[in-house]
Amino acid sequence: MNKILLILKREYLTRVKKKSFVFTTILFPALYMALIFGTGYLSSSVQKMNIAIVDSSGYFGDSLLAKINANDSTILFTPVKDTSIKSHFRKAGYDGYIIIPPIDWQTGRKNIKFITDKTHGAGTESMIENKLNIIWSEVVNEKLGIDNEKKTVLNTSNISIKEENQENKNANSAVSSTIGYVCGFLIYFILLIYGSQVMMGVMEEKTNRIAEVVVSSVKPFQLMLGKIIGISLVALTQFFIWIACIFLVYTVGKMMGSESAVASAIVAGIQKSFASVNLPLILGCFAFYFMGGFFFYSSLYAAIGSAINEDVREAQSLSFPITLLIIFAIFMMSVAIRDPNGPIAVWGSIIPFTSPIVMMARLPFGVPGTVPAWQLILSMALLVIGFLCTTWLAAKIYRTGILMYGKKPTWKEMLKWALRK
Amino acid sequence: MNVLEVHNLKKYFATQKAVDGISMNIEEGGIFGLLGPNGAGKTTLLRMITGIFYQDSGEIIFNGKKFNPEKDVANIGYMPEERGLYKKMKIGEQAVYLARLKGLSKADANAKIKTWFQKLEMESWWNKKVEDLSKGMSQKLQFVTTVLHNPKLIILDEPFSGLDPVNANLIKDEIFSLAKNGSTVIFSTHRMEQVEEICNHIVLVNKGKNILDGKIAEIKNSYKENIYSLTADNLPAQGNSNLFDVVNEKQGKLLLKLKANSSPNDILQYFINEKAAIHSFNEVLPSLNEIFIKLVEGTATARQFQNVN
Repeated sequence: MNKILLILKREYLTRVKKKSFVFTTILFPALYMALIFGTGYLSSSVQKMNIAIVDSSGYFGDSLLAKINANDSTILFTPVKDTSIKSHFRKAGYDGYIIIPPIDWQTGRKNIKFITDKTHGAGTESMIENKLNIIWSEVVNEKLGIDNEKKTVLNTSNISIKEENQENKNANSAVSSTIGYVCGFLIYFILLIYGSQVMMGVMEEKTNRIAEVVVSSVKPFQLMLGKIIGISLVALTQFFIWIACIFLVYTVGKMMGSESAVASAIVAGIQKSFASVNLPLILGCFAFYFMGGFFFYSSLYAAIGSAINEDVREAQSLSFPITLLIIFAIFMMSVAIRDPNGPIAVWGSIIPFTSPIVMMARLPFGVPGTVPAWQLILSMALLVIGFLCTTWLAAKIYRTGILMYGKKPTWKEMLKWALRK
Repeated sequence: MNVLEVHNLKKYFATQKAVDGISMNIEEGGIFGLLGPNGAGKTTLLRMITGIFYQDSGEIIFNGKKFNPEKDVANIGYMPEERGLYKKMKIGEQAVYLARLKGLSKADANAKIKTWFQKLEMESWWNKKVEDLSKGMSQKLQFVTTVLHNPKLIILDEPFSGLDPVNANLIKDEIFSLAKNGSTVIFSTHRMEQVEEICNHIVLVNKGKNILDGKIAEIKNSYKENIYSLTADNLPAQGNSNLFDVVNEKQGKLLLKLKANSSPNDILQYFINEKAAIHSFNEVLPSLNEIFIKLVEGTATARQFQNVN
């Protein structure tokens, strides 16, 4: 036990002291934010277009077009009388043209052609269509004799629904989904990044030939366990720093709240999100599923690392099936968030291969509202059994592999190592 | 007293009877040579003695009791043939870490490392990293980490490979003084001249079995072929003699093989009578190298894969 402690201390300290640890700890949240805001910004900045409208129906008058252009100028409709625009619309400064044929106002008209010289996406098409339809509904309204007053009624009078779970009145599906996503993705990243760190660490010991020296002092199992626990603590440290940062932003925001509108908005947002979920339960389960998932997968990564030699390509090809399982779990998670009660969500959150990620995505929807207690208990129990099994199997592969040099073992050989007494 | 006894030890791998019934006793305080050609099973044997592998059958008695890896590894220092250290770790820290894995306290480890570093002129290395060391330097470091915790049994697998003669002598002296202070050294190699120089007892292993076991002097005696070397001036012309056969003759130096009923005295008498001016006369014992080659010769140079069942 004392020796495991020594080993995990070394694994922990050498990693935390590295510059790259400090770097990723700071950089990861920054990149994550950049990713979220960056894609938001990119998707909102749509290229402007100028489209020539050649009207032969008589409905799309200049004044109507001018009115609609004033409301939204990303797509500009310019009335053109001359049909010779067909041959030189690009030169005249248009991205395309639409010749509006005669239309019967009661039936409308489908598939009016939008002529361009390069293909635009479906998004652009529907935007142009929407804009034309705004004009068209004005035309139709007028034909039907609907005045502005009636129009307002038509536009504003509608029915909306809001779900209320009788087991959990505070449940807010938007906030739950967000928290679920964040938790699931964090575990996903940790499994992939730190899992491969375990693999590389084992490989390093093997190729440096230090493994033989160390296992003449400690049992291979102790060496493997010390490494896994040490690296999991590195990951936890990183989390702790991130959570501390959020807390810091929160407190600072609270103090400045009265002065800065942005800060108070952030504080209000955080308060609102946390009020709607059972925070201690989420954090507790997060720690559990993080550790469980980490032990489950990193022991497999350790086994792979012990089986291979210097070749990084071997590492990639042997670890690919395991990485695939983790990626599979993240797909199941996105299904589970859309439908947290569906069979995929339920089974995905119980089977240990996917449960750390899928269950974390479901939990914010509420216990026992969405996740019955028996499912949570079963899932936790299975994960514990699961990681005991993988650690046990991995230890056997590790014990043989760490001292085995030469050719890359096949899966069959590794299975043989694992099942040998 | 025997510090280590091995009884009929076996370890089979899927395609190899790596160790196939080896027995040996190692006395306390001696320097013990474990010899054998490549792939004879030396490393597997050593890995069982160090608790890295479990034997399939047989028994290891360490220090008078059944070998218990968990407890006994603290009394063993093992330097494997393939050296290994953490490349990115500082040398001082690394030595402390390895010593603490053997059960030393932090203060104890620090003090011992300081003395050893002083002894081997390595003090300036403390804050350097292993990747900054040359091969010979890291070899020295490896040796220090092996013997740091004062083990009763020190196992060195090819300890001199990669060392220059000066550093090799330095390590050799340390091995002698460790043995003098009561440690037992097992020295695995296929370099015979080193074995003759250092060891007092050897075991020769081939194909997973020990084929020779004994004190070097006794082994040499039992393999002697009654060959004597004589240097002298005024040697008489050599005809047939009923006392000896001439094996080799070279400028006043004769290599003679005695016939069954003659003694060295008869030979000397013969040459004195012949008025030869004798400078030296001594028995030529076979070198370990010759015994080794003789015993191993005829077996395939590389171990073949075999079916184990």
